[in-house]
Amino acid sequence: METPNGTHVLERAINGDSDAFGALVEPHLPMFYNAIYRILGDRADSQDALQDALMAIHRDLPKFEGRSAFSSWAYRVCINNALMVRRARVRRKEDAMEDLVSQNPDEGRPMDADASLRWSTDPDAFNKIEHKEMREKMMAVLDKMSDAHRVVFILKDLEDWTTEAIAEHLEISASVVRQRLHRGRLFVLERMRPFVLGRPT
Amino acid sequence: MNLMPSCKDVRENLTEYMEGKLPLSRRMGIRIHLMMCKVCDGLLHTLQTLPTFAKEVLRAPAEAPAEAKETYDRFLKNIRETSKS
Repeated sequence: METPNGTHVLERAINGDSDAFGALVEPHLPMFYNAIYRILGDRADSQDALQDALMAIHRDLPKFEGRSAFSSWAYRVCINNALMVRRARVRRKEDAMEDLVSQNPDEGRPMDADASLRWSTDPDAFNKIEHKEMREKMMAVLDKMSDAHRVVFILKDLEDWTTEAIAEHLEISASVVRQRLHRGRLFVLERMRPFVLGRPT
Repeated sequence: MNLMPSCKDVRENLTEYMEGKLPLSRRMGIRIHLMMCKVCDGLLHTLQTLPTFAKEVLRAPAEAPAEAKETYDRFLKNIRETSKS
């Protein structure tokens, strides 16, 4: 990244120029914090993780070799720090996950007609409700999800990690990752569907 | 053994099915079930679109929230003070 006077911002940041560090990080701050908050779902924890991530970025900047974009590298640092904070904390919540499958035995019969509606992602669905409200609802749903299911859902469906990478990081089997992912998906789907589609009156 | 899985069986296994991790016989049973069951096929479609939907809904806002800015400002202040001393 070049400034008008030709000075390399990254180089300046590595050499301790805090303004240059700010110029590197600040444009991506919303994205970095968003990634952290999606994993942790708690402001205080997210602030801790962001601070840890900023420290790690600042400390490891000399090791950044520029093979990827700075934002991609720093984003990964943020994710890793969020996961570290998550690992360190004791989540207070009980597992609120409901076993949707076992609670809705169908004895081989189809679900009710309402469940047959496909969940559209077309613009009309979003027109039904403001994006901000939808986001708040989604965050509330994630907040109700158990930590074990939430982290798998976020890493797989939002961060596009492979099942194997998640399994390795969380030290569980790939099969357990898929089970948690499936339950997490059903948990989200069941709670967001009426919000997106509306209930028949 | 019933080769045709029930809706419950299918719904329990759709993520494994999507990842191609089921044995061939189970995969084929689910595929045939999906061809005949609009409800389960709809659920499969919904699960497939869920990541796109979630990414859109949970995308980063244009501005970082106040608590993020506060943490960032505090950090920047600290490194400025450290570099001066």
